[in-house]
Amino acid sequence: MLGKGVVGGGGGTKAPKPSFVSYVRPEEIHTNEKEVTEKEVTLHLLPGEQLLCEASTVLKYVQEDSCQRGIYGKLVCTDFKIAFLGDDESALDNDETQFKNKVIGENDITLHCVDQIYGVFDEKKKPLFGQLKKYPEKLIIHCKDLRVFHFGLRYTKEEEVKRIVSGIIHHTQAPKLLKRLFLFSYASAAQNNTATDPKNHTVMFDTLKDWCWELERTKGNVKYKAVSVNEGYKASDRLPAYFVVPTPLPEEDVRCFQGRGIPIWCWSCHNGCALLKMSALPKEQDDGLLQIQKSFLDGIYKTVHRPPYEIVKTEDLSSNFLSLQDIQTAYSKFKQLFLIDNSTEFWDTDIKWFSLLESSSWLDIIRRCLKKAIEITECLEAQNMNVLLLEENASDLCCLLSSLVQVMMDPHCRTRVGFQSLVQKEWIMGGHCFLDRCNHLRQSDKEEVPVFLLFLDCVWQLAHQHPPAFDFTETYLTVLSDSLYIPIFSTFFFNSPHQKDTNMHQRQLSLPLTQSKSSPKRGFFREETDHLIKNLLGKRISKLINSSDELQDNFREFYESWHSKPTDYHGLLLPHIEGPEIKVWAQRYLRWIPEAQILGGGRVATMSKLLEMMEEVEHLQEKIDERHHSQGALPAEAPSLLRSSARLSSLFPFALLQRHSSKPVLPTSGWKALGDEEDLAKREDEFVDLGDV
Amino acid sequence: MFSPRYPLFPHLFQAPPLFQNCVYSPLRGWASLPPSPESTEVSEEPPLAGLDTPFKRPLIVLRAPQTLLSLVLCPAPLPDFSLLDYKIQPLPKGLEHPQGFPPFTAPSPDGAREMWWGGRGQSFNIAPQKAEPDMGLSGPKSVRRTGTLEPRSCQLGSHLASGCLPGEQILAWAPGVRKGLEPELSGTLICTNLRVSFQPCGWQRSQETPLSSEYDFVLVNIGRLEAVSGLSRVQLLRPGSPLKFIPEEILIHGRDFRLLRVAFEAGGLEPQAFQVTSAIVQARAQSSQAQQYAGISLSKAGQSSGSRKPPIPLLETSEDWETERKKQGARGWRVSTVNERFDVATSLPRYFWVPKRTLDSEVRRAFGHFHQGRGPRLSWHHPGGSDLLRCGGFYTASDPNKEHIRAVESMLQAGHSDVVLVDTVDELPSLTDVQLAHLKLRALCLPDSSAAEEKWLSALEGTRWLDYVRSCLRKASDISVLVTSRVRSVVLQERGDRDFNGLLSSLVQLLSAPEARTLLGFQSLVQREWVAAGHPFLTRLGVTGASEEAPVFLLFLDCVWQLLHQFPAEFEFSEFFLLALHDSARVPDTLTFLRDTPWERGKQSGQFNSYTQICTPGYSQPPAGNSVNLQLSVWDWDLRYSSEQILQFHNPGYDPEHCPDSWLLRQQPSFMVPGPPSSVWLFSRGVLTPLNQLCPWRDSPSLLAVSSRWLPRPAISSESLADQEWGLPSHWGACPLPPGLLLPGYLGPQIRLWRRCYLRGRPEVQKGLSAPTISGLQDELSHLQELLRRWTPRVSPEDHSKKRDPNTILSQSH
Repeated sequence: MLGKGVVGGGGGTKAPKPSFVSYVRPEEIHTNEKEVTEKEVTLHLLPGEQLLCEASTVLKYVQEDSCQRGIYGKLVCTDFKIAFLGDDESALDNDETQFKNKVIGENDITLHCVDQIYGVFDEKKKPLFGQLKKYPEKLIIHCKDLRVFHFGLRYTKEEEVKRIVSGIIHHTQAPKLLKRLFLFSYASAAQNNTATDPKNHTVMFDTLKDWCWELERTKGNVKYKAVSVNEGYKASDRLPAYFVVPTPLPEEDVRCFQGRGIPIWCWSCHNGCALLKMSALPKEQDDGLLQIQKSFLDGIYKTVHRPPYEIVKTEDLSSNFLSLQDIQTAYSKFKQLFLIDNSTEFWDTDIKWFSLLESSSWLDIIRRCLKKAIEITECLEAQNMNVLLLEENASDLCCLLSSLVQVMMDPHCRTRVGFQSLVQKEWIMGGHCFLDRCNHLRQSDKEEVPVFLLFLDCVWQLAHQHPPAFDFTETYLTVLSDSLYIPIFSTFFFNSPHQKDTNMHQRQLSLPLTQSKSSPKRGFFREETDHLIKNLLGKRISKLINSSDELQDNFREFYESWHSKPTDYHGLLLPHIEGPEIKVWAQRYLRWIPEAQILGGGRVATMSKLLEMMEEVEHLQEKIDERHHSQGALPAEAPSLLRSSARLSSLFPFALLQRHSSKPVLPTSGWKALGDEEDLAKREDEFVDLGDV
Repeated sequence: MFSPRYPLFPHLFQAPPLFQNCVYSPLRGWASLPPSPESTEVSEEPPLAGLDTPFKRPLIVLRAPQTLLSLVLCPAPLPDFSLLDYKIQPLPKGLEHPQGFPPFTAPSPDGAREMWWGGRGQSFNIAPQKAEPDMGLSGPKSVRRTGTLEPRSCQLGSHLASGCLPGEQILAWAPGVRKGLEPELSGTLICTNLRVSFQPCGWQRSQETPLSSEYDFVLVNIGRLEAVSGLSRVQLLRPGSPLKFIPEEILIHGRDFRLLRVAFEAGGLEPQAFQVTSAIVQARAQSSQAQQYAGISLSKAGQSSGSRKPPIPLLETSEDWETERKKQGARGWRVSTVNERFDVATSLPRYFWVPKRTLDSEVRRAFGHFHQGRGPRLSWHHPGGSDLLRCGGFYTASDPNKEHIRAVESMLQAGHSDVVLVDTVDELPSLTDVQLAHLKLRALCLPDSSAAEEKWLSALEGTRWLDYVRSCLRKASDISVLVTSRVRSVVLQERGDRDFNGLLSSLVQLLSAPEARTLLGFQSLVQREWVAAGHPFLTRLGVTGASEEAPVFLLFLDCVWQLLHQFPAEFEFSEFFLLALHDSARVPDTLTFLRDTPWERGKQSGQFNSYTQICTPGYSQPPAGNSVNLQLSVWDWDLRYSSEQILQFHNPGYDPEHCPDSWLLRQQPSFMVPGPPSSVWLFSRGVLTPLNQLCPWRDSPSLLAVSSRWLPRPAISSESLADQEWGLPSHWGACPLPPGLLLPGYLGPQIRLWRRCYLRGRPEVQKGLSAPTISGLQDELSHLQELLRRWTPRVSPEDHSKKRDPNTILSQSH
């Protein structure tokens, strides 16, 4: 596993300097070298992207250490990505590029995507950071999307090695200032390109109209109102400019505690019950202040509890549920299962695959999230209760659960546009701290928690269990999860709408950005939860809700009765949460492992069949329509069906490794019919960019 | 404990002083029952659980025209406490009164009655329905006991009896509701001496499919029986252990992972529930000794048309073998008739393939030096020229002379210079391992399995079943590379040659030959490599109760499922077909899986009466004409499956592009790398090791005995055999795989649990995954084509005949 070799040989002692530096040029080994030098490989730079350093004759290994095979090429580091320019870049032909990611090539790693960097010194692997005294003969880069790259530097000039290694380390690991993010250079350089697509119907929730529209859609406008009290972020910099609160709530209440302690509307159920969220009041020691807080909450409570509002059930997510620490620990264990340095290691862990998987408890965390979401759904749907989610900042598990509940209850959220609007509403406007959670600025590893990925994984479980209920495929989710680390979209690069607006629109003012102000420390630990709210609201409410045993029974009954009925894909959707039903999102986690590739197999095989059939159905439908309308007219001769004669790999569309053997030949019209899946891979920038760059 | 749900009225009824075999009627008071022999007979029955009195049966059900009156009586020992329970309720729909039942004169209803009977501080509710027409008891004559078997089967409505097979007797039945599956069905649970069957209301057993795959539970298939009462009371029913309470629900866990869960109808029918449950326990206990249901098959065969052809060649005639040999293009081989009288080996088929140049006398001599006479025979001829052979272990105690050794060697070489001996069992589990893993898997997959959800994965790993599946796939994948990469003779050697040799050789063929992946091809593959090759099905599936139970065949089916899952477009058959085959392994309707050797199978079906004198008296009826054709095999799917179900055997995702016709032409010899001129290799633990000699007798002791000792376990190489053979990692893709060859993934995350088979008992698994999508589309497609056809004036008749066949639909171009 991680750092296996390090433990044995590291120990802080200085390993001897590599005694042998090979100056044997690769042309003496590699026969194709002439072609390499002849073909000047060009580096594609995005607008605003700058080349920082480069090194030539770097050997990129095939991910396999027993056979030291690889490709020679140039390793470059820009302010956007690390890229390897191999000598066979030009060998790609059109069929293949059709399925390529437009921004990130096969050998590109964005700086934000780099997870860990290791150097190999005398066969020993050590993590690299800070100033290096000596330079490794091999560089191993672990990416956040779980790719692993091995770069051999043995044949590279020493000064180039120094430059590229320290360059990479510096640009990927040193703490950064927000305004130095590539995002800003790109945004200023590529402003013209970001014309809004009229076809993009994703609701951005950055206007009052959007919120009113959502209220109307869910028929929540009877009891809830959209307010503009936070316009210009005058009241709170954690809240979006516009949001929705219960109608009788006085607007000045929002200003009292910077928007804390205010029940904020997320979504209304068809029976009028609503899902609300609330961030905790600041923790105070002073009795007087506590008194004020108490009377404030009493006032809020009176508003919410009076008819026409349903009984409120409070879910305190900071005390009775997962901690962010749990999620972080689980994911860091889990991802090690897929970050494979060499195949031998993979085979070793393989024997104990299931117990390793289980010990990471990532799947269990997914199960707990799904279960909690079902519990909330049960309250809303079966018990006609309002549910109030309570969290310290209402921006982590609150986002996860409220959006998960909506995916399960609201079929609109299972369309692509609806899902994007949901992400926009709950995560972007909900103030999920993407900047901190993804650790884009490399300022605190402790804050790095993959909450959004956890959400996507939960959605994947749902989509995997009920594929017909979703407008999008797992590939969409995979690509969406990748876009977290592509810094040309502003969507996932801020801690709050306030931060985004101040930085993206008023950059000319060049406000000094103080990180601590815009993202107050979120607690990892349970003792930091707000006891006050628990006491004030929790106790009062506890008598309204059932005891936990009864709760379990209700849950069971609800869960089982739903699953015993035939599924309505356009209605309420519940996941299975039994042990065998929670699975590994194989496409996302296994896609870069060549050993996991099944040539001519996998779901792609069914998928291409499906596409073929869909195409034929469509074609027949057309033909029938034609006949129906004009009985006499002879239809035009139908084009013959395209058949995919090539055997695709199970890792399609992510692995393009089988380029020599078979090329993906798929009817493109079929892809479109399936919901523009290929568009996802191709036109990533259009759909992932939820924010307006 | 009984908790009274109704108010108590203990004052209503006083216990008569000597209350024994009496019946109380509210109108007529107490009536005594005639002493009946049955009641004493069954009085050994245990006390019903929950009553702390030493309560004994008999249970009595009285029938009135519209109602049932059930009485629970206690005989002699407790004089003050005899009538324990009493219920009146309307007859369930679909039940008729037996003919000749004395008619009742129904007195006018006397309103709601509540009867309570108490004693010893206990009270029991007697809760008759309020609006029932009152029933009277016309006297002792009307009391009819229902415990007896003979009258019962006559009493049943004709629709129950009509589904019976010859020789089948209905032992007991009770109305109930099938639960757990969608939809909930009400019907009747019937226990016969052959099977337990749930017959839904209105469902008629069709004459064509006398056995239902859906509603029947063969007695030998019953793995565990549970009776449930209330929420908490569960009794595991073992043979001999008496039923302790009246069950509200019965759970029948099949050894094939199916679950039948029937909730009995409440109110008055408890005695029937009790009876049917006990009957199942008893019948199950008796069935494990009785193993022959072949009578069914023969009589069934008699029913169907006289000159029927088996759906696939059963390989019981030399013609079948010759046809198959030609199909494979094995020119250097011939059909040997040396075992025609089973005197070389009873476990071998009568015919098999040997090298053309080998004489039968040589075959006989050479085979003597192999374990149980199972010498090297051809399994499959690769179109590229390689041959896959299988044989038993060398019989090391024998002392062959030079000529014999030469015969053995030439048979192993089969005309090739390059010979690879494959040590079949290394890295594969032992039979005991397989059995243990299967037991653990079954325990894990029970719906109420104790494994917590968050511990599910490690529990699954703990069964090691998937680990074994993986090692089989890995080995098969390696062997298929060996067969494909060079022209050579690959010999699978296993001591017994009846278990893993069959598994590996079938898997290799599935991986390398598209022909084997068709529906027919797969069936004949199983028939050849398992049935004809003498896999001891009866012993391995545990029908005999022998200790050597090990479901190797089920392990094989799991491997095939993994392939199907990994290559959904490469197989003509569907998961449903595999499930059908999986379930059929325990249905004793045909001889296919009911015998250990071809000899026994042939003996039973009376196939070679002319050769042997052994003829079971039970089957003395001489099969007229072609006796072989009369024999039913498991491949006669219409015995158990309706035509709609058989239609589902086709995989809608099968890509006819990979159809076998073009395959032979496309097969390029360029993948065959020339090997060293003359070499002998041992393939063991993933590595090829050169061998000095083929046979163990000359200088060294037994090859197989030695191999595991002197071969060091190699470091796990990341290079697969395919990489080694073709020089480049196959996954790197620099070298395309030979057409038709599948290399399965066998990494931890790629080996899946066959959920639709093993988790069938769990309700959440009942629904389909992605398969319905494609079959739904299929339906839409055929519907559209149908529409289009209606508009088109010129309709060729072929189109109509083809329309339901998934493959032709796809291949039609428009």
